[in-house]
Amino acid sequence: MSDPNSDKTLSVHDLRVRYGEREILHGISFDVPRGETLVILGGSGSGKSTLLRTLVGLQPATSGEVWIRGQDIAKMSEDELDETRKKIGLSFQGGALFGSMTVGENVCLPLREHTQLEESTIQIIMRLKLEQVGLAGFENYMPSQLSGGMKKRAAVARAMAMDPEILFFDEPSAGLDPIIAAGIDNLILKLKKAFRMTIIVVTHELASAFLIADSMLLINKGDIVAHGTREEMQNSTHPRVRQFLDRVPEPEVAEEMDYLQMLTGEAPPKAL
Amino acid sequence: MAFFDSIGRNTVGGFAYVGGLARLSGRAAYFTLIGPFRGKALRWSRAFHQAMAVGVEALPILSTITFFVGLILALQGAYELRKFGALQYVAGGVAVSMTRELGPLMTAIVVIGRSGSAFAAEIGTMKVTEEIDALTTMALNPVQFLVTPKFLAMILMLPCLTTWADFMGVMGGAVFGVTGASFTFGGYVQATLDALLKRDIITGLIKAVMFGAVITAVGCYEGFETGGGAEEVGRSTTSAVVMSIFLVIIVDLIFTSLFYLLGR
Amino acid sequence: MNIVTRQQGNSTLVDVQGDIDLYNSPEVRKIILEELKEKKVARLIVNLTGVRYIDSSGVASLVEGLKVSRTMSSRFMLYGLSPAAREVLELSRLIRVFEVYGTEQEALQAK
Repeated sequence: MSDPNSDKTLSVHDLRVRYGEREILHGISFDVPRGETLVILGGSGSGKSTLLRTLVGLQPATSGEVWIRGQDIAKMSEDELDETRKKIGLSFQGGALFGSMTVGENVCLPLREHTQLEESTIQIIMRLKLEQVGLAGFENYMPSQLSGGMKKRAAVARAMAMDPEILFFDEPSAGLDPIIAAGIDNLILKLKKAFRMTIIVVTHELASAFLIADSMLLINKGDIVAHGTREEMQNSTHPRVRQFLDRVPEPEVAEEMDYLQMLTGEAPPKAL
Repeated sequence: MAFFDSIGRNTVGGFAYVGGLARLSGRAAYFTLIGPFRGKALRWSRAFHQAMAVGVEALPILSTITFFVGLILALQGAYELRKFGALQYVAGGVAVSMTRELGPLMTAIVVIGRSGSAFAAEIGTMKVTEEIDALTTMALNPVQFLVTPKFLAMILMLPCLTTWADFMGVMGGAVFGVTGASFTFGGYVQATLDALLKRDIITGLIKAVMFGAVITAVGCYEGFETGGGAEEVGRSTTSAVVMSIFLVIIVDLIFTSLFYLLGR
Repeated sequence: MNIVTRQQGNSTLVDVQGDIDLYNSPEVRKIILEELKEKKVARLIVNLTGVRYIDSSGVASLVEGLKVSRTMSSRFMLYGLSPAAREVLELSRLIRVFEVYGTEQEALQAK
């Protein structure tokens, strides 16, 4: 298998994902050059979470290609997928730290499971990672003793444990107060600069998106509405983009008769 | 019509459920038996921790319950036997009932309450908090990581607990034997050993292993089937307990019938 | 990755060639600790000129070497860091923890 886009860390071609009858993603294509940060924007129900889950191999693609590090993960067996997963990291929305382990053990887990490193080396790596996310000295805390922002930082430390080439963030600032959220944005910027990691962030926070993105992808109802650099998006005249950026609410149901039918249940609601 | 419709639906649902359990057990068995030969390490230390939680920590409550069950069996047995002046058969009656049936069954019920529900709650909570997804994205197979140690622990611990339950049941029976039926303690133990066949103990232990597999499969399956939200974890836990008890009884019935037919 | 040790006056040099990652950093660690603990060398200089990329496990191995050198009261020095390696050490605030020199000459002549 050869990679058609060797300078791209991540390359998606005509990706479709279907849950049963319903198609969530209708043919998505985009590339992310090595070392760049892509922010995937979209409202709730836009399909952005499904896209993220597909990119990390949690949700199988119905059709299309997802190239990561020169391999199409859509055609991989579970064992092959695991090899790719060791080279990517995902920071979950709520942290998803293992509640039965200390913060330190959480960070050590992938190293203990996947490498032959000595325990003393693993301990040093763990402390380095916690230091890098600003949680030095917290290794013996249980996740339940940490605040929301600290949990996310710990989750980033765990995602970085194996020195991933691509780091994914799911809603990094959701549920955090603005100051803590800004701290997470700064952390992402710092990691990008220091490690030249390819970073993919899924969010609906515009301020944070414009701060960290090299390029942006706006998706709506399973289609890409716009894809461009930060400046291109800012200056876009595309109505959908403007609607999202200017925070215009969804228009009401257009046709009064459709609305009546919807209320009375005479016609099935329009498919999403 | 609606009645038959619902029977049909439940039957199909039941098969799907058992199919799900079988698939989960199969994958756990793969990681236990075949995985180690393909470079997928067995997690002995996790299995050990599980075994402590499943086994050792259950001993106080299990001992108390089976001790009383042995005593109850003796009292109930004696109620009938004394009509025939056959109180000396109490020891054998308690011993056979405990080893063949009530030892494994009471053990299973205690373990369902303590561990089956805990498995469902643990895995269900991890599902809700995305910890299961986190395991997957870290290239750690959730079945291998979470279920296999539990299977190992349960399959090893249930026979041990059952043996202990048998012993405590006999002790409970002995209390009646000594106080109510003119046995000496030594005489009661001797009567028990005389009445027991190796087969009684072995059939009980075979049941115990099967119960262990069923309880783990149901607990873990319910955990993995948990939808979003904390209230779903409660629902999974409840249905893990109910389904485990139901399936343990079914498995008990199947094996008891089988041993009955084989033992003729 | 390739590791060679050589003697230069009272210093032992460890030349590392290639990337240091999760899979070969244990070897780097083993050789460094062997020199320090068993051969009890007085000055250990790690030549990283041929290392383009060093990951966290590599950094951690160097930290372990530094720690052991302190307990053995021997010197532990690095030279020839690539810009990327330097940046990794800087981010981990380790650049000032290590004795880092630009060239072999500087490292050898360091007092």
